Amino acid sequence: MEQQRELGSFSLPPSLRAKLVAAGFQTAQEVLDVGPCELSKEIGISKQEALEILQVIKGDSHGNERGSGNTVRKYTALELLEEEQVQGFIVTFCSALDDILGGGVPLMKVTEICGAPGVGKTQLCMQLAVDVQFPECFGGLAGEAVFIDTEGSFMVDRVVDMASACVQHCHLIAEMHPEEGHQAALETFSLENILSHIYYFRCHDYVELLAQVYLLSDFLSEHAKVRLVVIDGVAFPFRHDFEDLSLRTRLLNGLAQQLITIANDHTLAVVLTNQMTTRIGQNCSSLVPALGDSWGHAATIRVILHWENKQRLATLYKSPSQKESTVPYCVTPHGFRDVQLPSPALAENKTNPRKRPRVEEQ
Amino acid sequence: MDWDQLDVNPRVIAAIKKANLRSIKEILNLSGADLQRLTKLSSVDIQYLLRAVSNAVRKNSVLTALQLFQDEDHSTSQHQKLSLGCSVLDSLLRGGIPLTGITEIAGESSAGKTQIGLQLSLSVQYPYKYGGLESGAVYICTEDIFPHKRLQQLIECQPQLRADVPHDVVQKIKFGNSIFVEHAADIETFHEYITKRINVLLARGMVRLIVVDSMAALFRCEFSAKDSVLKAKYLQTFGAKLHQLSSKFRTPVVCINQVTDTIGEGSGADHSSPRSAGKSVAPALGITWSNQLLMRLMVSRTPNLEQPTEDAPCGRPLRTMRVVFAPHLPQFACYYTVKLEGVKGVRMETPT
Repeated sequence: MEQQRELGSFSLPPSLRAKLVAAGFQTAQEVLDVGPCELSKEIGISKQEALEILQVIKGDSHGNERGSGNTVRKYTALELLEEEQVQGFIVTFCSALDDILGGGVPLMKVTEICGAPGVGKTQLCMQLAVDVQFPECFGGLAGEAVFIDTEGSFMVDRVVDMASACVQHCHLIAEMHPEEGHQAALETFSLENILSHIYYFRCHDYVELLAQVYLLSDFLSEHAKVRLVVIDGVAFPFRHDFEDLSLRTRLLNGLAQQLITIANDHTLAVVLTNQMTTRIGQNCSSLVPALGDSWGHAATIRVILHWENKQRLATLYKSPSQKESTVPYCVTPHGFRDVQLPSPALAENKTNPRKRPRVEEQ
Repeated sequence: MDWDQLDVNPRVIAAIKKANLRSIKEILNLSGADLQRLTKLSSVDIQYLLRAVSNAVRKNSVLTALQLFQDEDHSTSQHQKLSLGCSVLDSLLRGGIPLTGITEIAGESSAGKTQIGLQLSLSVQYPYKYGGLESGAVYICTEDIFPHKRLQQLIECQPQLRADVPHDVVQKIKFGNSIFVEHAADIETFHEYITKRINVLLARGMVRLIVVDSMAALFRCEFSAKDSVLKAKYLQTFGAKLHQLSSKFRTPVVCINQVTDTIGEGSGADHSSPRSAGKSVAPALGITWSNQLLMRLMVSRTPNLEQPTEDAPCGRPLRTMRVVFAPHLPQFACYYTVKLEGVKGVRMETPT
């Protein structure tokens, strides 16, 4: 183990090494556990020296990774295509939405979900945080999720509902198709397991959000199984008390750039939610996603959730590979689901299934 | 910010001081390249600096959903809710009003909004065991005068309303002493109150509930149609401030809102507008305000009457409380009535 390496084997100045040993430090890990401030107090050296010690130790123990990380690899388009196809998707449990997305929410991309309050943005995020953990033998990713909450709308009771429904669903599949791996997978796919693999961060303002995103890549290196990062929502902290709109644009662009890097480096899906706002035009006003036009470039995929009469609809608004289309969905006690249509004819009209079909009007 | 507390190289700290950067916010507001230019440090140093600064902001703040779920401590747990003082309504809301976030109660006049607001200011004073938060309430009136008489009536009738609570517990609470009534007739007064004066009450723990009755009244008269940008700005500022107070002190914020008739179908901005009594109405203040909310409840009168009882021979009008949106609740509704002793849910088939 690198962490257990003895201090004697590092290229430290002899005087400092002697001080470290005299203070009782033996392995690299012990030194790394204390911060530089503490270290300088502990062994009576300046902070400058303490930091240099830590840098030597850190540098040595991460030396190998760093060497290969900096080289730029070249890819051909074919390789990229193959890579993308292997990566897989996080299914939403609403097959109509999965279809228009081309299989689900893709890894290594930033997906933005926009919608008016109450339409189901947070529901979709919570659903994805559960779905990403679906075991591999059931066609899932067996990953983990990071949930960054800026609005305080992450309700754990609701996640419990969804996770229980998801576990139930797996049990049903296993009963219908009894296969070897299923039972073993089900043993680990329990409610408690699902909940313990959703890492929750609450950010109260934009400074906390920016700081959290800076720290994210370290966290993700430690938690290599994370396949989904949710930020619910991006808009809230940036939509008040910003006198300087150019600062806001700059910060948002920086944030978007970091998120794309994270998505690529750690092979995961980044899902953001955004609010809607009213844009007043010449003679009519319409609802558009908030944060302005330049933010529109931040996400690779943009989905807008909206109401039509009493039906919830999801519109794929921007995507590099799929065509723009709209599908109905609903939010049930079990989570984000397909609309159960009473007759197949209704599917094309996309009318409210609870209403009588008004054929004569079509 | 005392930079010497930061776990970074003193050389870097010296550079920050020289570049005249005073707060963490200032550092995070700058891009990496700008920081390099200002401090003349290398990009590696800047990366270390940004991480150290971020660590100082965030500490170690990760929680798993399991920890949230199993948290039983009533000062942090999400399971702790503020009871409405009626088991039927509480079960509609899965226990009551969540402690952090803004809850809106919207409805036409005489639907019972103020009654619910008053009842909440009483139920917050009960012990945790009975769904309260063992603290008082601030009641911010923006249009009418505070209904003192009705409050007295409700206080006197608490033993009848809360039959679930032992009599001596109810007797011990001095309800009237812990409701702080504040009149704020205009935007400046309101802003001043929620940014400055309310902090004293919250910081001393004298108050664990903020009721605003009503939000829309502040914006009714002062803004014409062309001021909509300014109006939106105020709404965002107020929303953010109330949000911040709510999460800092774990104090629920309940905002009462009026409704406006919507014209035509599909043209309104608010898509979640439910119908009440055949008319199409939407909560006032538009989508800017809706964006600030955690959950929205809609109350309305119905033409139906309750089954006649001894004390009300002709039956009271039934009203409905409907969940319009909430991250943890389905869009269910239930009936309730307003009685002498307060607001009570009616256990019967839920209206659809």
